[in-house]
Amino acid sequence: MEFGPALYQEFGEARKTRDGYRLAKTISPDLPPAQLSNIWKSVNSAGNWKAPRDDDVKAAIKRGLSSSPARLDGIGHKEIKGWVEVYFAYWQTTGILAEVQQTSSWTNAYEQWKVLINALIQGYNGHEFEAWTIPCLYVAGKHLRLFAMQADENTSVNDTSAAAFQDDFDPELQKHQKLEDCARVLNRVFSLCLSDRAPLEESRKWGLYYIINLLFKTYFKLNATGLSKNVLRILTAGRGDMPDFHSFPKSQQVTFKYHEGVLCFLEENYVEAEKHLTEAWNTCHKDAMRNKELILTYLIPCHLITTHTLPTAKLLEPYPRLQKLFLPLCQCIKKGELHKFDLALQEAEDEFVKRRIYLTLERGRDIALRNLLRKVFIAGGFEPVAKEGDKPVRRTRVPVAEFAAGISLGSEEKVDNDEVECLLANMIYKVSRNLPYPRSFCLGRQGSHGCQD
Amino acid sequence: MATSKAPSADPKSSSDVPADQQPQQQKQQTLEEDDEFEDFPVDDWQADDTEATQNQQPQHLWEESWDDDDTTDDFSNQLKEELKKVEASKKR
Repeated sequence: MEFGPALYQEFGEARKTRDGYRLAKTISPDLPPAQLSNIWKSVNSAGNWKAPRDDDVKAAIKRGLSSSPARLDGIGHKEIKGWVEVYFAYWQTTGILAEVQQTSSWTNAYEQWKVLINALIQGYNGHEFEAWTIPCLYVAGKHLRLFAMQADENTSVNDTSAAAFQDDFDPELQKHQKLEDCARVLNRVFSLCLSDRAPLEESRKWGLYYIINLLFKTYFKLNATGLSKNVLRILTAGRGDMPDFHSFPKSQQVTFKYHEGVLCFLEENYVEAEKHLTEAWNTCHKDAMRNKELILTYLIPCHLITTHTLPTAKLLEPYPRLQKLFLPLCQCIKKGELHKFDLALQEAEDEFVKRRIYLTLERGRDIALRNLLRKVFIAGGFEPVAKEGDKPVRRTRVPVAEFAAGISLGSEEKVDNDEVECLLANMIYKVSRNLPYPRSFCLGRQGSHGCQD
Repeated sequence: MATSKAPSADPKSSSDVPADQQPQQQKQQTLEEDDEFEDFPVDDWQADDTEATQNQQPQHLWEESWDDDDTTDDFSNQLKEELKKVEASKKR
C-alpha cells in the first residue's frame, strides 16, 4: 500500500479492530514490482526532485500515523515511534525489491528486511506493541527466510570463483551464510514469543508455533536437526504455561507435527514418529497434495517398521511419485522376492538417501525374508497322509537347502548353508526378542499350520 | 518454486495456488528441486476439509505385508521349480 492517507487509515482501522492479519498486510513485500515501485515513490511524490532524507521520511510517516484513526484510539507516543521505524524499514525494502529482478541485490533486500524485523522486535520489547499484532512477525519472519535463501543462492552463483581465492574460504559456510544469520534472528523472535509473561489471551505465545515452524524449515535446510531438537526441548519445558496445541490454526498444527514426526524418524524413534505423522496426515487439508505426499514419504517407512503394513494401491493412487518410490519395494516385500528387493533398493538408493529413508527401508529386508521363508514353507506342501481320512498336515521340517534355494533365487550368487542358518537364527532371534511369537513375524497362520520354531 | 518465491510480476504463481492445481510439469520440477513442507494457502480449515474425514475406512489405506498366499505368481512358480531341483539333487 502506497504511503499516504489510505495506508494510515488502514493502520488505524486494523488497530481499532485489533486485526493482526490486516495490519500485517500493510507490510507485505509480496507484491508485483510496479506496486513496490509505487510505494517507494509515494513518499517522494510531492514534486521534490531530490531523494528525500531519512529524517524527512520518518517525520512524514510519523505525521501520517499520528493523524490516523489510531490517534482517536489513544495510541501512545512510544508505540507510534516503534511503528515509524517499522514502516521506514519497509519503505526502504520496497525500493530495493522494486528493482531486484534487474539488480539481483537479494543480499541488500535481506539486510534491509532484517532492519524491519529488528524494528518489530524492538517494538515488542520497548514500544508497547500488543500481542494481537504478531501476524506482522509472521510476515517479517517468512520473508526474511525467503530473502536469505535468495541471497545465498545468488552468492553461490556469483561470488564462488572470486571468493575461492581467499584463504579462509569455506564453501559450506558460505553456501548458507544468510540463512544461518536468519536462523539466529528467528531464534530471537522465538524467545520474544516464549518469554511473554502476559496472560495467555493477550500473549505472544500465540505466535510460537508459526515461528517454530519457520525455524524448523530453516534448520532442516541447514541440516541442523540438533537445533530443531533443542527447540522441541525448550517447548516441552514450557508447555504447562502455553495455549493448548489444538487451539492453534490447523496449518500450524500440521506443519509442526510433520517436522516433529520427521525429527523422531531421523532418530529412529518410529513409534513416536508414526504418532506425529499420523496426526499431521489426519489434520492436513485434503487438497494439499504436495504436503500429503511429504507426510507419506515418512509415514510409509514408519508403518513398515512398526506394524509391518504396506500402503494400498488406493492410498498411493493420487501420488505418482510415491508409487515410483515405494511400489517396487512393496511388491518385493509382499512376494518375498529377496533378490529383487535388494535390486530395487539399489536402484533408488540416491533418492532414498536424499530423503533420509534408506536405512529405514533397508529394514524392510527382514520382512521380505520372512515372507520368503514362509513361501518356502508353503511350497513344501503336506506330510504324507498316514491314515485314510486324516486331515493333511503341513510339512513342518524344512531342509535348510530349500531355504538356501529360495534366498538365492534370482541371484547369480549362491549362499551356502552356514549363511542361511545364520539368517534363520537371526530371524528367530528377532522374533523371540520382544514377544515369543508376534503375529507379524509368525511364519505360519493360526490354525491352518503352526508356528515355526 | 513456491517456497522461495519473491515478489514477481505474476502473483498468481505464488503459493496462493494449491499445489494440485498447478500444471503437472511444474509440479514435477518442484518435487525435484525442493523437499520443503509448503505453506498452506489458508491458515485454518474446518474438520470437514481434513484428510481424516475423507477416508471413512482408513483400514483400506494399509494392507498387511505378509500372508500373500497366492502361490500361482511367477515368483512362486520359480520357487517351486527351484525346490524341485533341490529335491532332485538330494536323491542323486
